[in-house]
Amino acid sequence: MKVLLIEDEAGFAHDVKTYLTSNDMTCEWANTIETTLENISLFEYDCILLDLSLPDGNGMKVLTELRKQNKTEGVIIISAKDTLETRLEGLQLGADDYLTKPFHLSELLARIQSLFRRKHFEGNNMLQLNEIQIDMMAKSVKVNDQLVEMTKKEFELILYLIANKNRILSKSSLAEHLSGDMAYMLDNHDFVYTHMKNLKKKLISAGSKDYIKTVYGLGYQWVM
Amino acid sequence: MGNVKRKLLHQTLRGYGLYAVLILLLSTPFFYFLIQKLHLDDVDEGLVLRADEFKMHILPGLNASEIDQWNRFNRDMKILKEPVIKGDSLSFQFYYDSLITELEPYRVLLSPVKIGNLPYTLSVKNDLIESEDLIMSLALLYSGLLVVLLAGLFYITKYYSNRLWLPFYNTLDSIEQYEIDKTHKPDLPDPAIEEFSRLNQSVQNLIDRSKVTYENQQEFIENAAHELQTPLAVLHAKLDSFLQLPDLTASQLAALSPLYDLLARLNRLNKNLLLLSKIDHQSYHTAERFDLALVVEKTIDFFEDQATEKNIRFEHVKLESHWVVYNMALVEILVSNLLLNALTHNREYGVIHIELKGSTLIISNTGATSTVLAADKLFQRFAKTGNASKGNGLGLAIVKKITDLYGWKIGYSFEDGLHCFKVRF
Repeated sequence: MKVLLIEDEAGFAHDVKTYLTSNDMTCEWANTIETTLENISLFEYDCILLDLSLPDGNGMKVLTELRKQNKTEGVIIISAKDTLETRLEGLQLGADDYLTKPFHLSELLARIQSLFRRKHFEGNNMLQLNEIQIDMMAKSVKVNDQLVEMTKKEFELILYLIANKNRILSKSSLAEHLSGDMAYMLDNHDFVYTHMKNLKKKLISAGSKDYIKTVYGLGYQWVM
Repeated sequence: MGNVKRKLLHQTLRGYGLYAVLILLLSTPFFYFLIQKLHLDDVDEGLVLRADEFKMHILPGLNASEIDQWNRFNRDMKILKEPVIKGDSLSFQFYYDSLITELEPYRVLLSPVKIGNLPYTLSVKNDLIESEDLIMSLALLYSGLLVVLLAGLFYITKYYSNRLWLPFYNTLDSIEQYEIDKTHKPDLPDPAIEEFSRLNQSVQNLIDRSKVTYENQQEFIENAAHELQTPLAVLHAKLDSFLQLPDLTASQLAALSPLYDLLARLNRLNKNLLLLSKIDHQSYHTAERFDLALVVEKTIDFFEDQATEKNIRFEHVKLESHWVVYNMALVEILVSNLLLNALTHNREYGVIHIELKGSTLIISNTGATSTVLAADKLFQRFAKTGNASKGNGLGLAIVKKITDLYGWKIGYSFEDGLHCFKVRF
């Protein structure tokens, strides 16, 4: 999967790039609108991560340019601005998702994968990991063809874990993923334990291997 | 002790009133006695004149034998044998009046005369009945005039003062209604009177300066919070990257955990600061029609996990449907901050009651402490009530700011061991 990252903060860009690359993605980095437009006209990408405040202007320009060139790349806006207006403007100009800084890199990875799935598997959208089969459309999980009853939150958790498989996910990253836009309202992330415990129990009793490893004091990891 | 405030006009009129009453009380008896004295002098003069005329024209030709005859035909001038006096004397005396069967006041002059070498006393009298009435009428007339004059002065002063001070009261009303975080600025007119014109100018300048200062401060908070977003994002990314390094030991990983919590807290604080600086009509100007009960229900759902984790139960959740037209995002922020507050400052196995009745939302909760909180400090930013370090001290300030923006009423009370927050939308 090929990703173009547009971001003027070098330190931040470096970490995003490293995180994505170590997850079998190719990540290119542009720090101005000018280089971005150049890259876009030369190459094809699966996903574009777009910061809005760039040294040579507003990142929204990239969106209008993409539309002009009839490009269908998925775009995720990553910005510190979180007003409803900028959000709506971005989505109206053709962005697929909006992620407010600061965010967990694991959240970004999950969003990229979700965007990729939406773009490339229309209709039948199934994920098969060993004995576990996940139906994205029906939002159901089967272990060895046996349906596992799950709550909405447990389903979101397993997707998030799998999207970041073999990576350590902090408790706060999981909690914020489950809470969405209102995540900043949380002052306690301990409720993740309960959901995780239930998910683990359900998977094991359905005959799955124990993929969820607890990283003591910090969070969880889907080991596969 | 309450400091009783007097109105400006009352203060002016008080002096007038006191002066008028004093003048009336003092001058009426004084005037009465003065007229009486003048009248009496007049009467006395007449009596003396009549006595002198008698002595000059009648006395020389009067015989002692004619005295009875004289007395028979003169009612008011009699010649008496008794008493014998040496000099003239004036006195008040009462005589029975057979016509109206009453004792009437008379002024009497007694003067010694000699008739045929025998001493007699001449008595000349004049009744005072009519003069009494006259004096009374005069005094009343005078007081009446005075009353009319003073009352007129009083009301004219009142009328003119009211008109004169009108620009002042207008300015006062404008300042009282003005709130710095609302967008409209009071429109102070330029009155014809110099002092008021100066007052209005000064007030206008003061308001303009405060507004600029306030806006600068808001902008600074917003900029500061915004600038903090980037380093926070970098810090977050660095931490996430660090977490993925191979060969991290369990203790190293465990040491990272509080960093994530701190980062989340910092993030929350920053978001709230940003929010606080942005809550005004401009940022949240859109309004839509929605059911308050649905927003509350959604918020309760969101906090369900948090509550379960702390063994806190939502009880007496009674939500009546109530449709309103406001900015929904702001209402959501308000309700969630209230609920978060009820959760954060609760105790293990505590309860939260939520009731939406008409336009009134009541959220009451058991608290970490069972004492009444200082209501005036409660809604201030970073106000620490009781146990510190819980929450970020901005939640209720945000709530207050939103209620202020829409002019909703919010109250705190402590009832039956529950901390109770009441919002009237």
